[in-house]
Amino acid sequence: MPLTEQAVETAARRPVLSVQNLKTHFMTDAGVIKAVNGVSLSVGEGETLAVVGESGSGKSVTGLTVMRLLGRTTARVVGGSIEFVDRDGKAIDLLNLSDMGMEKVRGHDIAMIFQDPMSSLNPVFTIGNQIAEPIRIHQGFGKKEARAKALDLLRQVGISDPESRIDSYPHQLSGGMRQRVMIAIALACDPRLLIADEPTTALDVTIQAQIMALLKQLQAERNMAMIFVTHDLKLVDEIADRVAVMYASQVVEEGPVDQVLGHPRHPYTKALLECIPSRRDAQGERRQLHPIPGTLPNPLSPPSGCRFHPRCGFAADICIASDPELEAVASDHVTRCLRWQEVAL
Amino acid sequence: MSEQADIERTDIERTAAEIRAQPLLSARGITKYFGNDGGMFSKASAPIRAVEGVDLDIASGEVLGVVGESGSGKSTLGRLVLRLIEPTSGTVSFDGKDLCSLQTGEMRRFRRHMQMIFQDPFSSLNARMTIGDALVEPIALHLGLRGQAARDAAVGVLERVGLHADHMKRYPRMFSGGQRQRIAIARALASSPRFIVADEPVSALDVSVQAEVINLLQQLQKELGLTLMFISHDLSVVEVITDRVMVLYLGRVMELAPTESLYGNPAHPYTAALLQAAPGMTSVKKHILKGEIPSPANPPSGCVFRTRCPFAIDACAHTVPALRPVGPDHLKACIRDDIEL
Repeated sequence: MPLTEQAVETAARRPVLSVQNLKTHFMTDAGVIKAVNGVSLSVGEGETLAVVGESGSGKSVTGLTVMRLLGRTTARVVGGSIEFVDRDGKAIDLLNLSDMGMEKVRGHDIAMIFQDPMSSLNPVFTIGNQIAEPIRIHQGFGKKEARAKALDLLRQVGISDPESRIDSYPHQLSGGMRQRVMIAIALACDPRLLIADEPTTALDVTIQAQIMALLKQLQAERNMAMIFVTHDLKLVDEIADRVAVMYASQVVEEGPVDQVLGHPRHPYTKALLECIPSRRDAQGERRQLHPIPGTLPNPLSPPSGCRFHPRCGFAADICIASDPELEAVASDHVTRCLRWQEVAL
Repeated sequence: MSEQADIERTDIERTAAEIRAQPLLSARGITKYFGNDGGMFSKASAPIRAVEGVDLDIASGEVLGVVGESGSGKSTLGRLVLRLIEPTSGTVSFDGKDLCSLQTGEMRRFRRHMQMIFQDPFSSLNARMTIGDALVEPIALHLGLRGQAARDAAVGVLERVGLHADHMKRYPRMFSGGQRQRIAIARALASSPRFIVADEPVSALDVSVQAEVINLLQQLQKELGLTLMFISHDLSVVEVITDRVMVLYLGRVMELAPTESLYGNPAHPYTAALLQAAPGMTSVKKHILKGEIPSPANPPSGCVFRTRCPFAIDACAHTVPALRPVGPDHLKACIRDDIEL
């Protein structure tokens, strides 16, 4: 895929967002949950970075930390930095931005869409109202102009006959249409970065295909950076240029999609790929699924050394004793495995 | 247990004739409308046509997949064949017995042969019952075992699903999602049923756990010669586990075929569209299906799929297409043969 190389180059030149060594911890009665523990990510203009992992891996918390949407009483960012480059090319330190400053960024420069469009839309306002709100707040348009822009956005996200839909309430729309409305709200102010957190998980497969195509098209038109958070490796293949695989609060492998999914260099990525039911092999035989032995570690007391060692088929003594760092296996591909050179995946 | 011995699955590849000759479960023209016909306080509304005239035969030892989008009637169909809900019309028979003619008491006794596994193991287990109690209950009720004998039997099924005796005293909250689904499976197996409806049994699970539960279901199905109706929206999971697949849309059967020919050679435009929409199933994305599934309260005339079908012609609006054979054991409900999918 020549596009990937191009995108990686673009990212290296102009990262829109770069997260370094981020640590988000939750203070609970039972102890400290290190939900995000040393995560580094970056995404450039026109590029899509997929963040993939199972439940509890920290993928959503990473997105929410970037948006600063976590409650301050329980969630603390205890380390790292988040740098965002705004549309004038000015770098902003999101973690040290005032609440007022963050409000100007959120929904304007960085937008987010969530899994469940019913609970993220306000049930007592019309969708027209909700799409117009960010336009009026961030761009200072009047009521009439904002409504005209909202109509145009509804058209862009593929809602037919927007004039008759704009005054509908969320409950009057289907799940697929609600997600389109969410996308319209997110894109209202032409954000530089869109964070999509499992945007198609609640949708039927035919509607999922529609939303995926829509996201891809809108992103290309606007040259937007996108972080696509998902549990589904099959979607990663369809939409992303690069992918970061998360396990137990850390990125364990990151690189171009065809590299990571085609030639994984971390045992967890490989194991995850073998869990996916796929088409039969060339002989028409059903492929045996290989579940990952064991269970996800308890977030309150993760294992020592490599987090994956208790479930890893390649674990050696060294994996229990020392913490692996991300190592480069190629110029644009990293893995957090001490034994990546020895093990044949 | 004696019934189980005589259901032996000798040959995986059964012929169409065999399946039809001796189905374990069969349904004829089964239909379910939900809704009210008006009462003291409410106006009559158009009924939701959840399932409309479905014919179905499942052979002993067969795994039948049922796929479709939400609102296609797949869960309703699963509940109908177990007679958890009463059909509006049509019949279901199990091992030659007409289920709908059974009295409440008889039906309750009959339930030991037919069980269900639900999607969400967090809500399908009683939070206040230990695993042991949850398993002993159906064993006592259906198999008449008491005391130590019932507990031994419970440990037996628990071990079958990969858990052990230590787990008997624990509560559901102490288990992970995958373990809970194992417990739900154990509970379904407790009465030694011959037929199980699994309604989205792996949809709520993470992919690594999902693989584990699929492998377990497959293994149990083979060991016990179980007959399974596997309901799922996930086409890749269905391909792995089933022998035949039924594709539903708005309560009607669009296509019914052996798994391999359905996936390899779909005959109905809806099946083809579903396969193309599913991520990772095909590299070909000829067309993304437009629009959404219409309301089952007001389904389109003629072929219910015609409003979204890229191949629809005028004739599709006039006649309800009958299910007709297009290959060995392969049926489709589409009037067009001149289309390339």
